[in-house]
Amino acid sequence: MTRHTRRFPQEFIERYSQFIPDFDAFLDAMQRPLKRTFRVNTIKTTREKALELMADLRPEPLPWFDLGFSLADGEGLGKRIEHFIGLIYVQEAASMAPPLVLRPQPGERVMDIAAAPGSKTTEMSAMMQNSGLIISNDPSPTRVRGLIGNVDRAGCLNVVVCRMDGASLGRCVAGRCDRVLVDAPCSSEGTIRKSAQALDRWSVAAIERFPAIQRRLIVAGYHALKPGGVMVYSTCTVAPEENESVVTYLLERQPEAEVSAVELSGLAMRPGLREWGKEAYPDVVSRCRRILPQDNDTEPFFLALIRRPE
Amino acid sequence: MTRRVRELCKQFGIPHGVFESYAVLEDQETVFVGTTEVMEFDAVRPMRRGIRLARIYPYSLKPTTFGMQVLGAQASRNAVGLSDEQAKLLINGGCLEIEADVEDGFVLLRWKELVVGVGFYKRPVLKSQIPRFRPVE
Repeated sequence: MTRHTRRFPQEFIERYSQFIPDFDAFLDAMQRPLKRTFRVNTIKTTREKALELMADLRPEPLPWFDLGFSLADGEGLGKRIEHFIGLIYVQEAASMAPPLVLRPQPGERVMDIAAAPGSKTTEMSAMMQNSGLIISNDPSPTRVRGLIGNVDRAGCLNVVVCRMDGASLGRCVAGRCDRVLVDAPCSSEGTIRKSAQALDRWSVAAIERFPAIQRRLIVAGYHALKPGGVMVYSTCTVAPEENESVVTYLLERQPEAEVSAVELSGLAMRPGLREWGKEAYPDVVSRCRRILPQDNDTEPFFLALIRRPE
Repeated sequence: MTRRVRELCKQFGIPHGVFESYAVLEDQETVFVGTTEVMEFDAVRPMRRGIRLARIYPYSLKPTTFGMQVLGAQASRNAVGLSDEQAKLLINGGCLEIEADVEDGFVLLRWKELVVGVGFYKRPVLKSQIPRFRPVE
């Protein structure tokens, strides 16, 4: 383990070695650059046509998503014509998972409460065959511009873009959504593989900034669901305070909420934690899933699938 | 279907059926297109509904690149086929001289049977109307 200590803060190692399995493999994976990955946008093209156009890059399909591909050398991917006209969307592999777990259907009403830059909104729009409604929200004026740009480029005709506080929006659409995605703002430990600066910024204090907003968003997302509706809560961090603790907070507020098992064939995932520090989580929280970088060569991710009973 | 959408369909030979599943909303400057649910959404006032289909000018209607990319695929007239190099030049904001069997005015730009955007043709010059983003190489 000592070979990693120059790069990772000691506090990071002490904290995460307590519960992340295969910890050396985790640190190794977190130091490797991410493979470039993209998703075929079926609003604009077919899988076959996109693969024909991208054949020179020899894309390799992801084992858990037939529209997701990785590249050995993805240099210049964002400068290709195929990207400009929205045939492909450059997106990290694990970030494709939350919509696949949520499974929005054509004609439904879906809310993406913290949507910028729009990778999951556009993925869901394609899954819904450009029908129904996606309420795609981000409170940041800067980030919402990027969201609109990506919605335009992907050709999403079923999206309204809002710029609101997510909790306020949740109240405005209370009880009206078939599905809700809460891909919460987080300390983004997952981005360490993309950028060394992300590790320089890492601190426990940075992590502690997020649970308050995450709790507001998960509650707002839950209230937006129709009876029988389904919500996915996700983050790209491994910090339990931002994951299992937030799900537990919802269950304390809304004891009727049901945590369902997260399943995605072909994607290796680990169960949610049962405890962290002095906190013990309800048994059902272990139905949440952790995607660890050493298992699928992706960013880390956390996924919870929550159902509002009829 | 509004008068302006019929105008676009006529100009580019787009079958009316392409718009059948969608609703259109117009303000003084812009024609937006989206699903009926998008146009009827009234829980809050959104920043954007669907996609801009066209901009309304006093004497003309300018189709947008992103609107035509998604709804112009079946266009049968006033579309110019481009090579790889020509497509990159126009996406990057350039213009080129070309003899094309189209009317002067706004035209669709096609690359490998896909609409990449909109140009303005005044024989023999074809000028890009594509919004500039990251350069394409």
